[in-house]
Amino acid sequence: MKHLLYITTALGLMAGVAQAAEKTLTISVYSFAQDAYKKALYDPFEEKCGCKLVIETGNSVERMAKIEANAANPVIDVAVISSHDALALARKDLLAKIDSTKLTSFDKLYKAAQDPIGGNMAVGYTFYASSIVYRADLLEIDSWADLLSPEVKGRVALPNITGTQGPLTLHMLSQALGHDGIDFTDTINAIGEKSDDIVTFYVRSSQLAQLMQQEEVIAAPVGRFAWSRFSGSELDFKWATPKEGQTGGVNVMLMTKNNGNEDLAYEFMDYWLSTEVQTRIAEAKIDSPANKEVVVSDEIAESLTYGAELINSLNMISPADIIDNRDGWVDLWNEVVIK
Amino acid sequence: MFQNRKEGFALALPAALFIGILFLLPVGILLSEAFQLDGGWSLQGYIDFISKPLNQTVFLRTLKLGFLVAAVSAVIGYASAFCIVNLDPKSRGRIFGMVVLPLMISPVARTYAWIVILGRTGIVNDAIIGLGLSDTPIRILFTETAVFLGLLQLFLPLMIISLVSSMENLPRDAISAARVLGANWLQVFTKIILPLTKEGLVMGGTLVFTGSLTAYITPAILGGAKVLMLETLLYQKVSVSNDYVSASIIATILIAMCFGTNLLLKRIATARE
Repeated sequence: MKHLLYITTALGLMAGVAQAAEKTLTISVYSFAQDAYKKALYDPFEEKCGCKLVIETGNSVERMAKIEANAANPVIDVAVISSHDALALARKDLLAKIDSTKLTSFDKLYKAAQDPIGGNMAVGYTFYASSIVYRADLLEIDSWADLLSPEVKGRVALPNITGTQGPLTLHMLSQALGHDGIDFTDTINAIGEKSDDIVTFYVRSSQLAQLMQQEEVIAAPVGRFAWSRFSGSELDFKWATPKEGQTGGVNVMLMTKNNGNEDLAYEFMDYWLSTEVQTRIAEAKIDSPANKEVVVSDEIAESLTYGAELINSLNMISPADIIDNRDGWVDLWNEVVIK
Repeated sequence: MFQNRKEGFALALPAALFIGILFLLPVGILLSEAFQLDGGWSLQGYIDFISKPLNQTVFLRTLKLGFLVAAVSAVIGYASAFCIVNLDPKSRGRIFGMVVLPLMISPVARTYAWIVILGRTGIVNDAIIGLGLSDTPIRILFTETAVFLGLLQLFLPLMIISLVSSMENLPRDAISAARVLGANWLQVFTKIILPLTKEGLVMGGTLVFTGSLTAYITPAILGGAKVLMLETLLYQKVSVSNDYVSASIIATILIAMCFGTNLLLKRIATARE
């Protein structure tokens, strides 16, 4: 009995030492496609680094709140998030500056992904285009302004202002209606006047896909990442190329300030940005590559925001403009559109 | 039952601690945020909240839909309960089982079904066009009507269950006696059934009204951003704006509405005695 106790204690101590020796990296990511990420990114990285990844998921606000609440003693090492949310964190001095010399794949990134929020506080890992999906057998879409035309009255959906797609749609609608800059007052008022003609202001692309599949909606702005939900349908969906162009954005990866795990964080970020992993993720149709050396087939490219020509043509809105103006847009939107 | 009161307290202590620490304390902290401003106590948050036209609309809409769902549930519930208690025991068990069955299905699944049913190509619009009531499909989804139907379907079983329980205790001969004495059905309902089943009505009304006030999934799916209710606005404040003060204010208003309704219904029931 005594020997058994010694052996158990010794094994316990060994396990404890092994546990303490194992390196861990805590990452905060979007909830979607986690099985695919595990296969393409998490498992291979754990094997390569001999470390353990702790994955935290949730919506952006929850994840940002957690980073802010633990600023003094970060529990998240690396996070992926939209560029404007990253800028909001950077302005609160919660992020570490990215040392691009520690990222061997940095020079392989598209220019727009190398320093998307300024100050080298984040690195882009994926792009997304946004345009209008519509029923080509029922109408033609040539301009963003067509979303407010009589032809789509009662059959159009717009993204809600509170989501990522909302400000992008306002940005392009404003240009189509002849307004420059980021004062969306006239555009929001124009949407408010047509509010009763708009089926809904959707929050998730999955919700929009269902509404379009059951023919409730025949035209709506959406991100290219959701295109696969439409492209395989029996209904005649088409991706519009409006004369004002397509809009879009970049999602970024960032490192929290003073997390104490910087070396492993750089290793993980570099691995994610590598041509090998970006290709694997692109081929799984999870994210469009920010690494310009990634080459995929035409069939895969169809589902992605892929290629220098497309990425350089995206009519993006700056993260600073979104952060500086979003509260005002939401207030006006609630006042004249939601009512 | 217990040898002394200490034993009773000791036995109740674990449950009391559980509820106190894990429920009452966090709720208290959350609600207290709604009364704080710049480190002091204030009602300014409520004044600011109520002064916004959007919040007023959302508050009144929530109240209106809660009241409508409870009222229509009561009407349908009385008719259904009356039928159920007058069935033979075997049929009563079957029908009662069918009433309870939806409660065993996820509200998400039940609500999603309404998207198909109420859509342009759904059976409701098919029926409307088939009956010649309209030439084109009418929009029902993302309207107050859709939210009302979803909430009614969600909570009607609770009203029926409450009323069936009350009606089972109704003296068998009371209705027959009233009819023999010349009362019409309206008089039978108002003078006999309603007074004798008011406890069931109060319980059912409270469950349906408070359920309608606090349901999130149904208004979110069937109403969306165009039919904001307090519960969907609360979610928006937390998950989009990270505005926990406004969310606490909405939570406090919802809790007050629930308690207020319960007290009001009890008062009405008592007043009729």
